[in-house]
Amino acid sequence: MKSGDDEQVGAAAAAIRAELRRLRTSLSRLEEAVDKLPETRRRSRAAERPRPARYYGVLVSVYERGGRQGIAAGDLGVVGAEGGYDRRGLGGFFAGTRAPLQLVDGRVRLTAEGLRLVDRYLDEVAR
Amino acid sequence: MSRERALVDCAWVAERLGDPLVVLVEVDERPLVYRLGHVPDSHCLDWHGDLQDPVARDLPAPDAVERVWRRLGIDERSTVVFYGDNSNWYACFGAWLFRHYGLEDVRLLDGGRQAWLAEGLPLTTEEPPENVAASAPAAHLMPHYRALCGQVAAAATDGIQLLDVRTPAEFRGDLLTEPGYPQEAAQRPGHIPGARNVPWDVTLGADGRLLPDDELRIVLAGHGVDLERPAITYCRIGERSAHTWFVLHEILDLPEVRNYDGSWTEWGSMVGMPIELGAGSPSALDSGAATGAPAGAGPSSRARATSSTTTASST
Repeated sequence: MKSGDDEQVGAAAAAIRAELRRLRTSLSRLEEAVDKLPETRRRSRAAERPRPARYYGVLVSVYERGGRQGIAAGDLGVVGAEGGYDRRGLGGFFAGTRAPLQLVDGRVRLTAEGLRLVDRYLDEVAR
Repeated sequence: MSRERALVDCAWVAERLGDPLVVLVEVDERPLVYRLGHVPDSHCLDWHGDLQDPVARDLPAPDAVERVWRRLGIDERSTVVFYGDNSNWYACFGAWLFRHYGLEDVRLLDGGRQAWLAEGLPLTTEEPPENVAASAPAAHLMPHYRALCGQVAAAATDGIQLLDVRTPAEFRGDLLTEPGYPQEAAQRPGHIPGARNVPWDVTLGADGRLLPDDELRIVLAGHGVDLERPAITYCRIGERSAHTWFVLHEILDLPEVRNYDGSWTEWGSMVGMPIELGAGSPSALDSGAATGAPAGAGPSSRARATSSTTTASST
């Protein structure tokens, strides 16, 4: 049987989790809304470090060849080499808070940022 | 249906390139990848523009589907093969929709774009000419392929298993959507009481192809799916659950499987619907079925009344 203190702690934890969920949702929606503002798009594109086409090529290859599960970590070297990257130079794809790639259970997958960059590249190609 | 009838591999497609009776259709989560290159002679259908009603949140009307069929050159003799990106999840929605409207010979290219690329088969950027069929088949509803909200609410009472094929984090209610899909959020997180979490991608191998039948059965049974009982699949907007529908109905030949295309964006946004948070318990569905109400559903009568109203307005 739970004590009164335990119940209070449990209720507080549940309230915090619920608040966190609300915050995550709100943040997600706000980020989406800000991204859609024309001025923001112009500024962020200008401020974003320009990347060569081969950079996006790696991301598109991971998207295309990896499907839902991602590509095997060992295959990233092959994908990178096709874009002219040395295997040792691929670590940058995983670095930073806005890294486009992530390693999950031995598979390389795109992050939400990586998917955004793929969309951006596809938009450019389609123009 | 069976794997032999419903699934084709790359070699099967490669041998039939140029066959006017085989209509190849690509449906992508990111339709622009079609422009990078696609299977020769394949047509691209846009999930938003071609496979949804343009105004209401609903499936396209039968006459709109017939127009799509004519545009693709589909007639009574056609074999339609769907494929797409992201391990076929949107392609399966197309396959489900065409089957829902009565088209008989609809198949899936196992592994989709991913498999075609992996095998180094030819791609083209040329779009096929519109090959308008003189007479497309008439679209007629197969009423057993789609679940509406009221049927979902009554599932436990009717002994139907509810399969939530989203990620475990979405199922538990930790996330409203997978990262990257904020536009597909519902008002509330969680899952339908009594549902089992069977992430759709457990049916895939690492190469994006479907697991062999015996492995599929083992994996699905391991997630609590009873392959002898009717099922309703759902996800967020009905595409991932169309994939699981395809596996259960078209590959494993379960007799009664429906896709709830309203899915969580409908259920989780309507007022008064019962919602469960957390990982759920294996016995939840069984106890719900035994008592005639979804386990943990709260006021199930209210849920049914609410959903009946919704169903009436959404059909």
